[in-house]
Amino acid sequence: MTATWVQVLASYLHLLAVAVYVGGSVAMEFVLGPAQRFVPPAQAQVLAQKSADRFLVLVWSSLALLPVSGMLLFFSLSDQNLVSSGDIFTTGSGRTLLAMMVLWAVLVVNGSVITFVYRPRLAAKASGRGGGARVGEQVEAMQVAARRVSWLTRADLVIALVVVLLGASLAYGNGIL
Amino acid sequence: MHTALGYVFTIEWAVYVGGALFMELVWRPLQRYVPPGQTGVLCNVMGRRYRWLAIASLVAIAATCVAWQATGGPGRLSVARWLALGAAWVVLASLVTVMGLLVHPRSHARIEPGEDRAELKRRRMRSIRVMDVLLRIELGVALVGALVAAWPHGSGPGASL
Repeated sequence: MTATWVQVLASYLHLLAVAVYVGGSVAMEFVLGPAQRFVPPAQAQVLAQKSADRFLVLVWSSLALLPVSGMLLFFSLSDQNLVSSGDIFTTGSGRTLLAMMVLWAVLVVNGSVITFVYRPRLAAKASGRGGGARVGEQVEAMQVAARRVSWLTRADLVIALVVVLLGASLAYGNGIL
Repeated sequence: MHTALGYVFTIEWAVYVGGALFMELVWRPLQRYVPPGQTGVLCNVMGRRYRWLAIASLVAIAATCVAWQATGGPGRLSVARWLALGAAWVVLASLVTVMGLLVHPRSHARIEPGEDRAELKRRRMRSIRVMDVLLRIELGVALVGALVAAWPHGSGPGASL
């Protein structure tokens, strides 16, 4: 495999990972989300839960693919001197690359919080044990979790858009930081 | 200027391809959990919203490519890549137009005078099957278009991320 083919593969996989994350988030937020208002609340809840379960698989796949394809692209373009010479802190492209990695880590942390903290709370069924007050508390906890997931999802979309801006500045220039 | 053009180009391809993948990998399997009547309502609402998203993306992709060439951006596209990207764009624009103006409205058609319910249901099912095929063709063409866009060659829009 020549370097060009590695670059083609890495570029394509990188674009696909970005497409799945950004395009999927946009579709979830602006297409499926608003459409849920047109079905009964119980059905909308099932829809939200099932769609989130499936979308999270895509999100984690793209978050895993981004650094792999990014590193392939980075090394196939022979930019590794950026790291080895310590230029990552002193040059615009180095700082831009570092910012991309930090923001990717933020996306991973947010994704973990949604997947392992809030999703189980939303998936839990309200139990009748402890009486009406206990059920009320559970419902309130689920509503809080739903609001936080919604807030985090929007924040993730904004962060992903910033990451793409940083990536574009590297692809078409020398970074913007 | 060229960073901004490259950014818009990348985002719009991502929204288009990602939206098509979302419909195929999330929305299509999800329909098993929704009663048929509600699937129809959701398809109608989502189809209309997705159509505007797709049109906006296609317009922005064309505009950024033309602006890149017109402003003499570095690594201008080769003729072969122009043709390949242009062909993918024309196919996608045609598919969005056909689905938006013909097939999607037919899949939500109302009963016509003298038509019985069975005939209406057959007509709707035919449109839904055509829509399914067109959506998969659209996804395939979008994925090929993304490959052309991602092909590293110079540093024109879509040269790489």
